[in-house]
Amino acid sequence: MRRSLVRAALVAAVAAVPLAVGNSFALHVCILILMWTVLGAAWNVLGGFAGQVSFGHAALFGIGAYVTMQAYALLGLPPWWGLWLGAAAAALVSVPIGMLCFRLRGPYFSLATLAVAEIVRLVALNWEWATRGPEGILITSLPRVELFGHAVNFESKPPFYLLAVLLAGVALGATAWLRRSRLGAYLVAIRENEDAAEAVGIDTVRTKVVTLALSAALAGAGGGFYALYFRYIDPDAVLGLALSMEMVFIAVVGGLGTVGGPLVGALFLTTIGETVRSHFQVGHLIVYGLFMMVAIRWLPEGIWGRVARWLERAQRGRTAASGGAVVAATGPAPVEPDHAASAGRR
Amino acid sequence: MALLELESVTRQFGGLRAVSQVSLAVDEGEVVGLIGPNGAGKTTLFNLITGFLRPSAGAIRFGGASIVGLRPHAVAGRGVARTFQVVKPFPALSVHENVTLAAFLRHRRRPDAERAALAAITELGLEARRSTLAGQLTLMDQKRLEMARALATEPRLLLLDEPLCGLNPTEIEVACGLVERIHGRGVTIMIVEHVMKAIMRISRRVVVMQHGEKIADGAPADVVRDPAVVSAYFGKRAG
Repeated sequence: MRRSLVRAALVAAVAAVPLAVGNSFALHVCILILMWTVLGAAWNVLGGFAGQVSFGHAALFGIGAYVTMQAYALLGLPPWWGLWLGAAAAALVSVPIGMLCFRLRGPYFSLATLAVAEIVRLVALNWEWATRGPEGILITSLPRVELFGHAVNFESKPPFYLLAVLLAGVALGATAWLRRSRLGAYLVAIRENEDAAEAVGIDTVRTKVVTLALSAALAGAGGGFYALYFRYIDPDAVLGLALSMEMVFIAVVGGLGTVGGPLVGALFLTTIGETVRSHFQVGHLIVYGLFMMVAIRWLPEGIWGRVARWLERAQRGRTAASGGAVVAATGPAPVEPDHAASAGRR
Repeated sequence: MALLELESVTRQFGGLRAVSQVSLAVDEGEVVGLIGPNGAGKTTLFNLITGFLRPSAGAIRFGGASIVGLRPHAVAGRGVARTFQVVKPFPALSVHENVTLAAFLRHRRRPDAERAALAAITELGLEARRSTLAGQLTLMDQKRLEMARALATEPRLLLLDEPLCGLNPTEIEVACGLVERIHGRGVTIMIVEHVMKAIMRISRRVVVMQHGEKIADGAPADVVRDPAVVSAYFGKRAG
């Protein structure tokens, strides 16, 4: 209990630092890092835990972005609420997508998600009534929003930063909950062997659809946040293939199926990416690809996965030095005692 | 009333009839051996019963209710567990976690599921291996794990698909003991096996399949003398 309080205080302190620094570019990068943390976590829930590699998460991101944007532009719904509406819309749309794509397994599933995302992009390009087509949607000003009696002015960066901290907190919190839950255990079972999971009574289709909806809600919220922050969206910006790939990169480089992975991945890739991007347009994608190759070849468990293993080992070393009792429990078991025993009986 | 009833079950793959008009009934408490040459349709029959495949025609009833069209997890929920011919563990997970995942079917809370899983692990003699990753087990222990996982779903009927395949004679002895032990707990068993000595020892009744059809059904000693069975295995006598 005291440890978790200390941890919460520590996180709050770290989160407050960028606000105190007051450098606008630094704050901008921090906002992007947190946004990408949310997106990486969204992808990781499905791709990392359940092993369902989606190349189409841009569709969910884009749906969140469009719904949030149009909820404000057409209906006048304050952005604070539109964001959650966007998340809900993405989750809702993901259900039929999941029912369709989850009939397929492995690479076929991945290709189906890719196709669905392209369909959504083409629909957005041509359905001008809803999306204004290739022209995109631009909003010039965001209204003040009343929150718990305070007027929050979304014309400056700090509120966006705090909103990003909140979203990242929700995304990482959801992942941490998932890791301990029965649902999370089912996901790992599906990743490990889908037939065996089904044979021991796990409804694999339902489990995957539910998880996709959770993943979609996070991706949709990320999309809504993007729309409000940049105030301009068009089909290529929020529904493009590159976006789907960036989510994959962040989750893989950070550490598949880990809680902290997406944060670490976003921290690495976004910082480097933004630095390169200021020199030439799509340079960040080259860097991402490079990191992806490095991760696959030398760091399959991701940066966070590797660090977590080191920490674990260090901790085990410490307990061994102080106690020794733990070693007896976790140390190697004697070789085949059961076989020896049964042979002896005969 | 029989626990499991198959009525004229047929499964067609294109022009091939993998299972053709098979009818059989298994009573509560039986151990039924299912034998036949390679490609006779034994594993297909298991896949049909457990919902991994849908029959092209025919009826399958478990405990009096039709289970045709149910997905495998739902069949498992009704009380039919299975093991796979080629073992399918969750390789990156510990033995205990492997079995806990199966125990979740009857115990929604994790502590309860873990306790039930440990009981199944102990039953199969795997307790010394409970923290080992399933992918690192010997084949024998992976077979034990398959059975422990099936047992943890608390089945009324257990379908074992070649549980002895790939084991050495000593291990076969041990595995036969395990099957008998599971049966002793009141689980009805259907077992596909090629090791005839083991089948003769374990089962009181043997069903023989060839080319997708049931060609014999009876006590082991009678079945091995049945001319149809003999010719299925050794061909027709010349002249």
